[in-house]
Amino acid sequence: MPSSLLVLAQTVNVTWYLLPLAMIISLVYSASRFELPDRILRRATWLFLQIIGFMGIVFGVLWVLSYKM
Amino acid sequence: MSIAPAAERRKPWEERNVVVALILAVLVPGLGHLYQGRVVKGLIYFFGILGLFFWGVKLGEGIVVYNTPEKGLTRKITLHYAAQFGAGLVSYPALLQKQRITKNNNTIRQLDRPLSANFKGSLIDSHSDAEAGKLDGVITLKPESGEYGPETKGIFTGKLDGQPVKLELGGNFFLDRPIAAGFRRTLKIGVTGGIENGRVMVGSIPRSFIDGYGVPPDPDQLQEVTGRLGKQHELALVFTWIAGLLNILAIWDCVQGPAYGFGDEAWQTPDPEDKTNPTIIDPSLPVVSATTPA
Repeated sequence: MPSSLLVLAQTVNVTWYLLPLAMIISLVYSASRFELPDRILRRATWLFLQIIGFMGIVFGVLWVLSYKM
Repeated sequence: MSIAPAAERRKPWEERNVVVALILAVLVPGLGHLYQGRVVKGLIYFFGILGLFFWGVKLGEGIVVYNTPEKGLTRKITLHYAAQFGAGLVSYPALLQKQRITKNNNTIRQLDRPLSANFKGSLIDSHSDAEAGKLDGVITLKPESGEYGPETKGIFTGKLDGQPVKLELGGNFFLDRPIAAGFRRTLKIGVTGGIENGRVMVGSIPRSFIDGYGVPPDPDQLQEVTGRLGKQHELALVFTWIAGLLNILAIWDCVQGPAYGFGDEAWQTPDPEDKTNPTIIDPSLPVVSATTPA
């Protein structure tokens, strides 16, 4: 089972690495803005969704522009 | 849910020595916060920033953290390394390793002491250069005096394409430098006995973390790793850069406190009747602007 997971991880598109990257950036950035843990978490969640949403919109635009290319 | 601190603990970043906290925060992400007793934030910075940094090192197979300024330029630190430098102690070995690789660090053509290590690689037909199978096992080598001088001989015990195999080794020996970028060390040696006689083992053995971390890669090595890993290597670099830059935010927070405040402050609408508040505009006053005639 672990070896199959390793093979799966190696074949995963590098784009998926952006999810944990966005999560860490959101968390660290929010931690530098506020002091209270629950406020940090709420703000980090919202920022993460904004980043992913923005990247999703850009992906969608590029996908439409490159349709049938 | 809110864990609001007591009124006297509104500025924990001022409770301990700021200079000590600053030094700790610069050296290790989150350590300054832990020193100040800001445990949750300290752990977020520590695991977030260092986790991202070492994830990048892992993705780039160790050939990620280095400083190679171009000769002739006055700038001694590349932008690439400047971003990584922010991550603290984990980036400093790159400054030291640059000095280490210039001293007694040559490729080895004959061993002068026994060596035993895990080996991963391929068995290559020396005539056609075709791969005869994948090798994975333990290689044991030692120096011996041969007919024409010192030789390196040994035994490989492991698996050839999943099948148990034992190979006698000798001749065509090559071992990469002790100190070089990355955590694998190229090794090549001929096979002398059995049905595999005349073939060559080409692969790598582990290189210690101390001898492989932060070492600037050769141009050829860099080209090989970027060609093989492609976007994954670029992403590895980006991870370490972002980790270094994020620690600047953490250092600032450690010294000056959070940028927006605690996070439990309530926004109070200013009283329009408050005459002492200079931000309140008296509605009875005429609006004066640049276009208003004098």
